[in-house]
Amino acid sequence: MKAILYLNQFFGQIGGEELADHEPEIREGCVGPALALQAALGDQVTVTHTVICGDNFMGSRTEEGIDRILGFLNDKEFDIFFAGPAFRAGRYGAACGHICNAVQNKFGVPVLTSMNEENPGVEMYRSKMIIFKGGASAAAMKKDVEAMAKYGLKLLKGEKLLPAVVEGYFGRGIRDMIWLDPPVTAADRAIDMLLKKVRGEAYQTELPIPKSDRAPIATAITPEELSKMEVALVTSGGIVPVGNPDRIQSASATKWGKYDVSMLENLQKGEYMTIHAGFDPAAANNDPDVIVPLDAMRAYQKEGKIGGVYKFFYSTVGTGTTQAEAARMGREIAEELLRDGIRAAILTST
Amino acid sequence: MKLTLANFHVKDICFGAKTELKDGVLTVNKEEALAVVREDTHITEAELHIVKPGDMVRLVPVKEAIEPRYRVGGGPVFPGVTGELMQAGNGKTHALKDMSVLVVGKHYGGFQDGLIDMGGEGAKYSYYSQLKNLVLVAHTDEEFERHEQQKKNRALRWAGMRLAEYIGSCTKDMQPDDTDVYELEPVTKRSKAVNDLPSVVLVLQPQSQMEEMGYNDLNYGWDCNHMLPTFMHPNEVLDGAMISGSFMPCSSKWSTYDFQNFPMIRRLYEEHGKTLNFLGVIMSNLNVALEQKERAAIFVAQMAKSLGADSAIVAEEGYGNPDTDFTACLVALEEAGVKTVGLSNECTGRDGASQPLVSMNEKEDAIVSCGNVSTLIELPAMPVVLGELEALSRDGLSGGWGNDEKLGPSVRPDGSIIMENNAMFCGDQVVGWSTKTMVEF
Repeated sequence: MKAILYLNQFFGQIGGEELADHEPEIREGCVGPALALQAALGDQVTVTHTVICGDNFMGSRTEEGIDRILGFLNDKEFDIFFAGPAFRAGRYGAACGHICNAVQNKFGVPVLTSMNEENPGVEMYRSKMIIFKGGASAAAMKKDVEAMAKYGLKLLKGEKLLPAVVEGYFGRGIRDMIWLDPPVTAADRAIDMLLKKVRGEAYQTELPIPKSDRAPIATAITPEELSKMEVALVTSGGIVPVGNPDRIQSASATKWGKYDVSMLENLQKGEYMTIHAGFDPAAANNDPDVIVPLDAMRAYQKEGKIGGVYKFFYSTVGTGTTQAEAARMGREIAEELLRDGIRAAILTST
Repeated sequence: MKLTLANFHVKDICFGAKTELKDGVLTVNKEEALAVVREDTHITEAELHIVKPGDMVRLVPVKEAIEPRYRVGGGPVFPGVTGELMQAGNGKTHALKDMSVLVVGKHYGGFQDGLIDMGGEGAKYSYYSQLKNLVLVAHTDEEFERHEQQKKNRALRWAGMRLAEYIGSCTKDMQPDDTDVYELEPVTKRSKAVNDLPSVVLVLQPQSQMEEMGYNDLNYGWDCNHMLPTFMHPNEVLDGAMISGSFMPCSSKWSTYDFQNFPMIRRLYEEHGKTLNFLGVIMSNLNVALEQKERAAIFVAQMAKSLGADSAIVAEEGYGNPDTDFTACLVALEEAGVKTVGLSNECTGRDGASQPLVSMNEKEDAIVSCGNVSTLIELPAMPVVLGELEALSRDGLSGGWGNDEKLGPSVRPDGSIIMENNAMFCGDQVVGWSTKTMVEF
C-alpha cells in the first residue's frame, strides 16, 4: 500500500521563514519527517511521495495551493494521505487541515494529521478529520509521527478503531456506542456517579452537554408590515398530499416537499394526511389544518392581518431526524423562500 | 411492604407430556399451553418454539417479553391486567429465572416491534439472547391495525401474559432454589443509621405518549397517559404492577420482563442501608403536550423535595419527544436542590454528530448513557427465522426501512439485514442492564 505526506517548507528542508512563499512541489520518495513516517509504517506501506509547500503560500493563495497539489496527486496511486505533524505552528496546522480536507473530498482516501492542542488548526478542522494530539515542538516528532502511523495501519488493515480519547486524537463530535470492557452495568455506573455527586467528589458524565446552537430571534414585524406580507407555512409534522408524492420518510427524514395551496382555503381530510411516525396521527389525518393551519391563515388574510399565504407549504418529518439533516433542509427551504421575497414563515412542529 | 421473590432457575426447556419444572428442566405441554393462548378467539394462528443462547435463530417482529411467575396464595401476576386489582409487591411470588416468554408476530410487525438474534454477532444487541426463551409465534384477526404502523398488539401481548402465568403456575407448592427478599421500612419509620445516609428516589418515566388508549404502559391496568406522577413502592414494580406498552421504538422500550426485573431498583436495594437511603419510586410519565410535561416535572420535584430526597436517579423509556420530559425532570430536580443522575440512550443520527437528546440543558451534568438508537448494524442471514423477516423492511419497524437510497432495503434477498439499533428488542437496556456507553470518535 502507498502513502503520501504533506510538509511545509521548513520540515520539507527548503528553508525557514524567509522561504515561506515556496511554491507547492511534489518529490518522489521521502523528505525529512517522511523518513520517520516510513520507519513507523514498516514494510507494508510505502511513502512514495512528499508534497512540500510554503506556509505563506498556502495561507495567502490557499485555493491555488490546494488546486496545484490536487493536480500533482491526480495521477498518483495512494491509499492514505498524511500531513505534518504541525505541532504548535499555526499556519502549518491550518495548511495541513486545508490540504487533508481537499484530499479526502476529492480522492476519498483516509487522511491523518497531528497538531498541538493550542494550534488553531485543531478547532478549524477537528470535526472534519482525525487530528492526533501532538507535542508543542519538533522534539515530539518521533512520537507524533508514530501515533499517526500506528492509526493509519489500523485503518488500512480494517482493525477495530477505538474512541478518540483512547486512540489519542481530538474527538470529531461523532458519538457512538461501545461495550465496556470489562462490562459494567448502567445500574452500577449510576450508583457510582450518584454517590460521587452526593459526596461532592469528581465524576465524569457519559453525555457532556455541549453549548446550545441557538438561532437568534428575528426582529419583530409590525402589524402594518405584516398586513402587506405573504406568510409561508412550514412544518416538520409530515403533512403531505395523500400518496406522499415525494416519498418523504416517516422517520429520520432526509427529504422535504412543497405543495401548492394557492387555490385552497384549507387542507381537506382525505386529500392531505401525515406520514410522521412519531405521534398519534388520528387528529392530523382527520383535519390536516391542525398541523398546517391554512384555514386560520386564510381567515387572517380575510381580516387583513396578513397580506396573504405563500403559494407553497413546505413539509418534512421531524422524528428521529438528525440536527444536521434538519439544519440542511431548513437552509434549503429558507433559501427558496428568500428567493421569492418571503420574509415571514410559521414553522409548526408536533 | 415485604416481597419475597422465590427463584426457580430454569436450566433447560423442552416440550413434553406434562407442563412441569423438575430438576431445573421446564417441560411444556404444547397443546395445553396453546389452549391458554387461544382462550382469546382473536388469536387465529399460534405455535410455540424454544430458543436458547447461541441458537442461530432470528426472531422478528418481537412484541413483548415476560418472566413466567406465580403469585402464591392466588391472584393475577399482573393485577388489573390479567385479573382483578390487588396489591402487588407484598407477599410471595414465584419467578422462573433465566428464561422468558417472548411474543412474536407470525406475519406483521410495527413501529414498536423489534428483532432478536439468539446467536452470532447480532446476539449482543439484545438482553434476551442470554436467556432461554419460550417463543409464542402467533397471528390475530385484528384487521383494524393490520396495516397500521403503530399496533396495539393487544391479543398477542395478553396471550403472552396468560402464557407466562400458565407456565409460572407449574411451580405451585414447589420449593424455590433461592429467594430474594425486598423490604423497605415506611419512609418516616426508619432507623437513625438509615436516615443519616443520603436519601434517593428513583424517578421512572414509562411510555405514555399515545392519546388513544391501548398503546401505553399500564400501571395496575391504568393507562400511564392518564396519571400524574405518583409515589410507588419499588416492590410494586418488581411484582407486576407495571406492564410494557406497544408504542416506543424498540431499543428504547422497557418490556414487561424489564419491569419485573428492573436492575436499577435491585441495585438501589443493594445500597439501601449501606450507602444510601432508598426512599422509593416516583412513577412519572412521558405525555406529549408541553403543559403535561411541565406539570409532571413540577409534581416530581415537589414529591422528591417533600420526601426529603437528597438525590434522584431519573430513567426515561424513549428518545426524541420524551427527551423533553427527561431534561425537564432533571432540571426541576436540580433546581429543587436534589442531586440527580439521568439514565438514557442517545440518537446521534446517520452522521453520528447530531444532538444526542432532543432537549438538553447544562444542568444535566450526570448522565449514564446506555446506547445509540442510530447505530447501523449489518448482520448475515440466519438459517432459522421465527416470525417474518420481511416485517423489518415492510412494516415500519423503527430501525428498518423498505428502501434507502444509499443502503438499499433493510432485508436483502439473501436474508442478510441492515438496520438501526433502534429496532433491537429492548436493546438499550436503560432499566440498568446496559454495559454499553457512548463515546466520541
